[in-house]
Amino acid sequence: MTAAAPVDATVDAAAQRPARPASPYRLSFGRVVRSEWIKLLTLRSTWWSLGVTVALSLAISLMMASASRDFGGGLTPVMTIVMPMQFTMLVAGILGAIAVTGEYSTGMIRSTFTAEPRRGAVLGAKAIVVAVVMALATALTYLVAILLTAPILGGAGIDWSDAAQSWVPLGAGVFAMAMFALIGLGFGFIIRNGAGAIAATVGVLFVLPIVLNMFVFAGESWQWIVDLGQYLPMAAAQMATTPAGDDVLRGILTLAAWPAALLLGAWAALRTRDA
Amino acid sequence: MIVAERLTKRYGSTTAVDDVSFTVRPGLVTGFLGPNGAGKSTTMRMIVGLDAPSAGSVTVGGRRYAQSRTPLTEVGVLLDAKAVHTGRSARAHLRAMAATHGIPNSRVDEVIALTGLESVARRRAGKFSLGMGQRLGIAAALLGDPGTLILDEPVNGLDPEGVRWVREFVRHLAREGRTVLLSSHLMSEMAQTADHVIVLGRGRVLADAPLGELVAAWTANEVVVRTPQPAELAASLQASGPSAGGPVAVESVADGTLRVTGLPAAAIGDLAAARGIALHELTPRTGSLEEAYMALTEGSVQYQSKEIA
Repeated sequence: MTAAAPVDATVDAAAQRPARPASPYRLSFGRVVRSEWIKLLTLRSTWWSLGVTVALSLAISLMMASASRDFGGGLTPVMTIVMPMQFTMLVAGILGAIAVTGEYSTGMIRSTFTAEPRRGAVLGAKAIVVAVVMALATALTYLVAILLTAPILGGAGIDWSDAAQSWVPLGAGVFAMAMFALIGLGFGFIIRNGAGAIAATVGVLFVLPIVLNMFVFAGESWQWIVDLGQYLPMAAAQMATTPAGDDVLRGILTLAAWPAALLLGAWAALRTRDA
Repeated sequence: MIVAERLTKRYGSTTAVDDVSFTVRPGLVTGFLGPNGAGKSTTMRMIVGLDAPSAGSVTVGGRRYAQSRTPLTEVGVLLDAKAVHTGRSARAHLRAMAATHGIPNSRVDEVIALTGLESVARRRAGKFSLGMGQRLGIAAALLGDPGTLILDEPVNGLDPEGVRWVREFVRHLAREGRTVLLSSHLMSEMAQTADHVIVLGRGRVLADAPLGELVAAWTANEVVVRTPQPAELAASLQASGPSAGGPVAVESVADGTLRVTGLPAAAIGDLAAARGIALHELTPRTGSLEEAYMALTEGSVQYQSKEIA
């Protein structure tokens, strides 16, 4: 046990406070966002997740850039930057999930909801912070990846004059990563248990696409299941980030619909369940 | 002021809190007592809106906690010391809590000093001992300088110095006119801290009374008498008839030692002198909160409330 403040000094300090003046402190949504910002950035798990995402993304970009000449014409330069998302999306989803389930497993959620009893505000603030942090980390990763791969790609680099080959896929990639994190966050609020929420997130992001794709071999009558796979987050992200793709907007909307539905479910769960 | 009216909480077929009504008044330390599973923690959670009541209502300062836009400045809560993320430092935890209300970091450092956490404030809360965790929980409860404090087992895991600190601190807070509700399993500690006691058992209020009244109503004031003539003294005591202290009962506990209830020590001494019976010992014993609590929550009177005048 550490040395506590001497009892007498403690009581004196409290006694010097004026007798209960009206407090200037009160809740606001902006302050709750700031609180969530402090919470997310003061956890080592956040920095580990972001570190792994950045390192994984950069490593894959560098490898793809080095091999770009051997890919033939199929690989446009901006894809070397965006493609690692197929793997880093898992870390994004897990980051979102543990931002919530970590509070449930430690009991922190009770402190959170006594400080801000309006649970919808907590949900909104957490969603904003997780999405912004993931988007910033992704944007920074892309910037570093572009700088690192430019010398390797040489003259075959990104054509910045063509938005469909540069800004649009990059922006869609940043957006997709934020949405993946929000999918994890939504599952976190609905399932509460860390392992369960991560399993659900990985299932939707990574396993379901594989499962649905297996039905390609089942023939015509099962084609509808394969088609359904286009509306999974991973397929939507590929649509949205395809350079000069036809379905960029459909991809973006599908990507946004997943977290929107999950956060709505999370909000309903928060309203009806005891913390 | 905390007012619970017909508060009820059911989990499926079990009723954790059953039609509970009570008022916790400012300026006093109100103790919340009851066996495990009596509904103390559930009631405290309903007060701050973490659990929704199945029926009834509870208000703090006249309104539901969840309706407050300044909850941390109105109510400070320590529900359990582990309501803290284990991966975050104590100071970061307090900063995040404070940020929701725009409470400055200077106040964070103030409550850290107040609870004696300076040397560990930058360590992760997961590495804290139970006692340090309690101090951190109390620090969080004090952040908004609230008018009401709800502390669930605040001295659990504290060292004797910490126990004394909590006792003096909550008594001081009550003297300032704040409302203090605290639960504890340590009866001797509660007896020294609380002015008023609410006893819960199986989700119902068994007693709600000032500490002194509760102890007096649920324990017998007895007098231990040692005499070389126990049989004669017992006979004359029983012959003296019922007194203001209720019916007189005499129990022989050992050779030459009697335990008398229903008569004050002075009356026993006077009676012995009048009959010429020698006394070797005359010791009044007052009941303790623990005895009152045991009488309330166990034995034949279990789970029946008793009217206290």
